[in-house]
Amino acid sequence: MSKITRRTFAASSAVVAASAAFGLRPALAQAYPARPVTLIVPWGAGGGTDATARIVAALLEKDLGQPFNVVNRTGGSGVVGHTAIATAQPDGYTIGMLTVEISMMHWQGLTELAPKSYTPLALMNEDPPGIQVSSSSPYKTVKELAEAIKAAPPGKFKASGTGQGGIWHLALVGWMQAMGLPANQVAWVPSNGAAPAMQDLAAGGLDLTTCSVPEARAIIEAGKARSLAIMAPARNPIFKDVPTLKEAMGIDYATGAWRGIGAPKNLPPEIATKLTAALKKVYDSAEFKDFMSNRGFGTVWGDAGQFGSFMDKGDAQMGEAMKAAGLSKA
Amino acid sequence: MRLPDSVTGSFLVVLGAASAYGGWLLPPVPGQPVGPNVFPLVIGIGLALCGLAIVFGIGHTFEEEEELIPLEDGQAAAAAPPQGKFYSLRALLPPALLLFYVVAADRLGFIITAAIMVYVTSTALGAKWKLALPLAALSPFAIHLIFGKLLRVPLPAGLLPTPW
Amino acid sequence: MLKTLIEAFALISTWEVIIAMFAASVYGLVIGSLPGLSATMATALLVPVTFYLSPIAAIATIVAASSMAIFSGDIPGALLRIPGTPASAAYADEAYAMTRKGQAELALGAGVWFSAVGGIAGVLSLMILAPPLAEIALSFSTFEYFWLALLGLMCATLVARSSPVKAIAGMFLGLLVSCIGIENPGGVPRFTFGLTDLFGGIEPIPALVGVFAVAQVMRAMLTPEPPPLPRRKFGSIMAGQWKLTKQYHWQMTRGNIVGIIIGVLPGAGADMAAWVSYAMSKRFSKEPEKFGTGHVEGLVEAGASNNASIASGWVPSLLFGIPGDTIAAIAIGVLYMKGLNPGPTLFTEKASSMYAIYLMFIIANILMIPLGIAMIRIAAYILLAPRSAIMPIIMLCCAVGSFAIGNNMFGVVTVAAFGIIGYVMEANGYPVAAMVLGIVMGTMVEQAFVTSLIKSDGSILPFFERPVAAILAAMAIGALLWPVMVWAWRKLKPVRTGVAATSR
Repeated sequence: MSKITRRTFAASSAVVAASAAFGLRPALAQAYPARPVTLIVPWGAGGGTDATARIVAALLEKDLGQPFNVVNRTGGSGVVGHTAIATAQPDGYTIGMLTVEISMMHWQGLTELAPKSYTPLALMNEDPPGIQVSSSSPYKTVKELAEAIKAAPPGKFKASGTGQGGIWHLALVGWMQAMGLPANQVAWVPSNGAAPAMQDLAAGGLDLTTCSVPEARAIIEAGKARSLAIMAPARNPIFKDVPTLKEAMGIDYATGAWRGIGAPKNLPPEIATKLTAALKKVYDSAEFKDFMSNRGFGTVWGDAGQFGSFMDKGDAQMGEAMKAAGLSKA
Repeated sequence: MRLPDSVTGSFLVVLGAASAYGGWLLPPVPGQPVGPNVFPLVIGIGLALCGLAIVFGIGHTFEEEEELIPLEDGQAAAAAPPQGKFYSLRALLPPALLLFYVVAADRLGFIITAAIMVYVTSTALGAKWKLALPLAALSPFAIHLIFGKLLRVPLPAGLLPTPW
Repeated sequence: MLKTLIEAFALISTWEVIIAMFAASVYGLVIGSLPGLSATMATALLVPVTFYLSPIAAIATIVAASSMAIFSGDIPGALLRIPGTPASAAYADEAYAMTRKGQAELALGAGVWFSAVGGIAGVLSLMILAPPLAEIALSFSTFEYFWLALLGLMCATLVARSSPVKAIAGMFLGLLVSCIGIENPGGVPRFTFGLTDLFGGIEPIPALVGVFAVAQVMRAMLTPEPPPLPRRKFGSIMAGQWKLTKQYHWQMTRGNIVGIIIGVLPGAGADMAAWVSYAMSKRFSKEPEKFGTGHVEGLVEAGASNNASIASGWVPSLLFGIPGDTIAAIAIGVLYMKGLNPGPTLFTEKASSMYAIYLMFIIANILMIPLGIAMIRIAAYILLAPRSAIMPIIMLCCAVGSFAIGNNMFGVVTVAAFGIIGYVMEANGYPVAAMVLGIVMGTMVEQAFVTSLIKSDGSILPFFERPVAAILAAMAIGALLWPVMVWAWRKLKPVRTGVAATSR
């Protein structure tokens, strides 16, 4: 009995596949999405990227009328999930959330994948790094801190915020270079993310952290740390008191951790246009804005073209910082 | 798979030496006085030392004999298992079935792959078809209902999509 | 105060919260008790569901599911010797030995009762002592963590019933496994052999599932079906628990305190609490020789400890957004998603929400007793079912569970590989639990050691200078030298002929 069922199923699925390949091609674009769409997240459930992906998926589902299922493909420090997005069928039924790591990992020789391995759809978020010190630190402004760093021997100051070669490490390196200092002027203490680094800052083990201000928010509000500046072109409306590097010390350096939606390469343009338009609606919706400002996440919009050039620019910037820090294999 | 202590101990010495050597080869990281090479080095040496101690039987007197804790009313003396030539290879069946799942699940789909796994395991453990067949027919659907449907784990559909 | 408490009551006494809490409790019990699925995964799989719930209901599901799952991880541990969580791995052998002695209900009853007591003690500490506990958490720098992690590793040798040398070897094997991947302080691929899937390293859960569950099925393949347990009525589960409470009240209190303190320290969590408490219990017991043969004392202390740590693990999460363990990390994500941003303002501006969380913890731990009893009664039927019906389902759970961790087939490969490793280790007297502990603690030891040295510019003095670090250092070195001293002492004593005869 099971044999017959299996054969029937195989036959019928072949028919479906054939009709999809020949007969139904032109109708595909109008019909899209005709079935549930998978949104791959390269990071674990419960994190910031996961949360952003879930709100985007829920709003896309409302707009396009098909379920958008968030699937957390973790492992390999993001490589596994990013690979899954890049190697999926470019039919619009698998899209994914790209994160800043895609412009970093290939410089370290961890993967072949780079921003150009994807069809960019939309940039949704960017969080600039802040410069935080402990509340017992003698430095009240970023200028004082920078002067002290310049005067101290290399490696005297210790900073943290993420692992070796992570985005906040590169932000520190970029800042040092912008000040004309060597990459190792401040020693990097690797940590398992921003939260443990902020704890160690409060415990007195570090001089500064360069994680984003939202990540440091709880400790800052507890009065255990303060933020001196952010490495962004403009102030964050939620943390109005924190100046930008340019305002505080005239250094025009900005970077950030970003999240955007992408699809496998060679996605049919009509599907890409439709998705980008839907994502624009998501971005403009009150739900998305409320959610992001609640968490303190910065919102930045970039359509497919802008997202693409944004990634290319960031990619070059990361490559430079990684070479300076001796992290690049390329 | 009961091996003499000298064999397992020697294996640990080799493994420890290999990992120490592997760690030694790792490049230092700029700015870190203790690089990623140190930890494998320490562990490798520790492992090798443990292996040596086991080979020479140090700490052996410590070993408490694993006494089989008898069931409350006295376990019936188990009949000696049939000792065919390849009998001990049966132990490899469960990992082999898991690897089969890895290879086959995407193509055959969860339901069919799981049914095969359940049927084979059950039969290998001595079940008659009267038990194994219904088990293989029903349990994949139950598991799929819990994980695929309720918890949204993306289990592959393959050839036999579930009715829900 | 009273007003916020009433507000909190109003917040949780909606149908949505009650139903969510009840459903999540049952869910946590079921997932936790399935071999191959863990409390962390139970919580992670809930995240998509919480997305559709109101904030309080969302937190309720996390609180209820995580508390229940940690307890019900003991059930397969006791009945099948397949621990559901790394925490239950510490005492799975003990609980299983009790089942073989016909005391399954006492072992599981102790699990549910002392888990509930521990959970409530943990909540009380969260309510009353949150600020001072938070100070403890913030006073721990990497120097202290290094010694703490080392102490945790020492527990492997204290708990093991086999040769301590083999236990240490098992622990080293676990540490070696934890070296795999790029999640090391240097951020370089280590022992990955060019495989992308190995970049993220080996997660403790698939390894745990492999060495216990798969290895157990492998052993079943070679041994004849044991005669079924005689059909007898499963005795009362709660009977005797009050007596145990009185008899071991000191062990229980010590377990609670240790659990609360370890739980508060970010990164340590329930796993370590259970191990440390079980080892302490054996170390300070009047009858340590009974440990491992089905003796309830260690279960009391470890059970009281691991659930206490779950609640106190929320202290750093709620105050600073620093997760105490992996479950708390997921919970923080949900808190943020629901606009309940962690931080001291949560205690002042959203005090009623905070009290609602406390109340939910207490209710969850009280609810654990009746639901836990029901679950144990149902689970006890697997002792009656033939092995050929249970083991296939376990295999299926192993495959699905290890896949669901990252929706990645590599998890299934890991489980299969660790099945073989665990089987070979177990057959040759190497304790697999020691290896699991090594995998859990390895990253923490290395991270703490390397970052401490960077911060001290290569000097090891701060490892002994800071007061807390010095105390922990003395304890760790003492624990390290303990087996050596015992060994020397035994060597000096004339060898008893009985020992010589039974040794291989």
